[in-house]
Amino acid sequence: MSAARPPRAIDPTGLLDRRLVIVAGKGGVGKTTVACGLGLVAAQAGKRVLVVEVDGAGRAAVLLGVEPAPIGEARPIRPGLAAMSLEGSAALAEYLQSVVPVKRVLKAVFESRIYQYFVAAAPGLKELMTVGKIWFEAERTDDGRRRWDLVIFDAPATGHGLQYLRMPLAARAAFGAGLVARESERLVERLRDPRRTAISLVTTAEEMPVNETVEMYRQVRDDLRMPLGPLFVNRLHRARFDAADLDGLRQQATRLRDARDRRVVAEVVQRADEELGWSRINDAYLRRLRAEVPVPHVELPFLFAEEFGVQEVERLAGTIAAAVQRDTGAGRRTDSHGRA
Amino acid sequence: MAGLDDVLARHRVVICAGSGGVGKTTTAAALAVRAALAGRRTLVMTIDPAKRLADALGIRGLGTISSAVPVDDVPHGYLSAMMLDQKGAWDALVERHAPSPDIRDRILQNRFYQHLSQSFAGSQEYMAIEQLCEVHASGAYDLIVVDTPPTRHALDFLEAPQRIADFLDKRVVKWFVKPYFSAGWATMRFVNRTVGFLFKRLEDATGITALVEVSEFFTSMSGLFEEFEPRVRRVEALLRSPQTAFVLVATPEEQVLREAEYFCGRVRELGVPLRAVVFNRTHRELATARDAREPEAVRALLARLLGARDGATELAENFVRYEALGRGDGLRMEAFRRALPRGAAVAEVPNFHTDVHSVADLRTMHQFLFAA
Repeated sequence: MSAARPPRAIDPTGLLDRRLVIVAGKGGVGKTTVACGLGLVAAQAGKRVLVVEVDGAGRAAVLLGVEPAPIGEARPIRPGLAAMSLEGSAALAEYLQSVVPVKRVLKAVFESRIYQYFVAAAPGLKELMTVGKIWFEAERTDDGRRRWDLVIFDAPATGHGLQYLRMPLAARAAFGAGLVARESERLVERLRDPRRTAISLVTTAEEMPVNETVEMYRQVRDDLRMPLGPLFVNRLHRARFDAADLDGLRQQATRLRDARDRRVVAEVVQRADEELGWSRINDAYLRRLRAEVPVPHVELPFLFAEEFGVQEVERLAGTIAAAVQRDTGAGRRTDSHGRA
Repeated sequence: MAGLDDVLARHRVVICAGSGGVGKTTTAAALAVRAALAGRRTLVMTIDPAKRLADALGIRGLGTISSAVPVDDVPHGYLSAMMLDQKGAWDALVERHAPSPDIRDRILQNRFYQHLSQSFAGSQEYMAIEQLCEVHASGAYDLIVVDTPPTRHALDFLEAPQRIADFLDKRVVKWFVKPYFSAGWATMRFVNRTVGFLFKRLEDATGITALVEVSEFFTSMSGLFEEFEPRVRRVEALLRSPQTAFVLVATPEEQVLREAEYFCGRVRELGVPLRAVVFNRTHRELATARDAREPEAVRALLARLLGARDGATELAENFVRYEALGRGDGLRMEAFRRALPRGAAVAEVPNFHTDVHSVADLRTMHQFLFAA
């Protein structure tokens, strides 16, 4: 271990002042939702924001009710907010074209089978180029004016997501001298600069996601040594009644004469039990997260919706805004209970 | 319509596929326990179980077949578990085929090899299927239940054999093997003058001397890839065999179902039998009485019962919220079912508000997985 201390966590109220915010976590915990929520908050604050993803599905656009754009194109979603899907091979081809400027003939290279081996033998080259492309967007200027104030990278699920971030480091070590090594050096420097970059983890407060989050937190802090932003704890259940209320209801229900009323009450009890159960699980894992992932937490409620769509993302954006915006005064850490 | 019990009874290999975070591992374990209880010698091959579930299944190390788990009411020895060891399987393949310890070490340290074994798309999935083939061929089990690696796309598992066969195509691989490559770039021009020249430029410009490593790798491993294609064919035959059933695991969330739909379409194209769908973490509407669907009616009933006491409003509101969730899940699952192939079994497991990590917990799942 080097003597340098790991960088301090970035305060939530400063998160959106970075050039690049990376949203990472286990599959299925709501990374795209948080990325879009952050995008909405920043856009409402007057920033020009780009949400970038890499698996080509265009999830951010779909979630916000817009048809995704072709790979590499920005799709405007709202004033100040756009989404883009990137793909490693396209980013790499684009880069190589800038290195070997015989464009027409280079096409023959890309189409040859040997090219596949070349890419496979240069570990992480595609991932490296994708991160390079993301930084290109983050620093891109049109007539001297930056195109985006903020780029939000909706990273792929845990293992694969970290692979992207580890690549510049690995490449710097692997490729010795040359253009790629210099490019890697430049990226590592940017990714580790707390004024420019923050990585925020997203999780739910359940066993497997929390295990992965704790592991990921340590890797980001100790191996990648990237500046950590707040942890987003998503889908929290917080029962607004307790076991005593429920016991009261059970007792009173015995007085009911009407069979249908009894059934309704039994159903109400069943749902209340479920909500209490989830609240207990969430509470236990929140405590573990507080102990083992010592960065500020932003807590997001589970939303009961028939369909999870734009409205739900907007509601979560409201909660996120309260935590990351300076002027609201509402919040650094949302330790308070009972937010709807 | 056949139920999941029939799917287990009629097949020798059951593969659980689905996107990450939907409960594949737990579902695979629950299916295996069921088959063991029915008296079949069952092996569950799993990927990354939660620690307590691994303990419950008696899994200790990677790769090895763990001691049989005692399941109540079944003669001892009917349920075994093993953890798929993805990286280790490639290393084992190299060790088996490398002509000398020296060459073995060279391969294991080769960058191209490390990429191939760790991050080439589909290679981990492919090795999982290879291990499955080996255990299957041993004939030691009546049924093998397989949990698939967590991938972004459930399809990676199905497409892995073809992808790896394409990649290691021996017609291409032979270019990389002596004398062409090791003799230098001049021979590359023999294959294609322009391409050879450009790759030289590319390597100079980027500072990546990648193809030398490829050449060295294939030269050392040349024996192995001669017989690679027949292996892939065997693996593919097992995936398409009538003894094999695919079970799609999903949750009723919009995004998961979008991917599941895509999976079903591709499964049809690939000619692989999709025999069942398991929905995990589902909600359904409970209210049978019509006016119980009216929030006001429920609120009034609770207010009548509880008076001004705490909680009446909150309890009613909670009920109404869960009903909305149940309505959405129900509609999405119905729409999904309508698009399924005829005869595919469908099971729904409600959203348990406890962790599942013991054989007893898995048996609790059975009443939902195998509901009549």
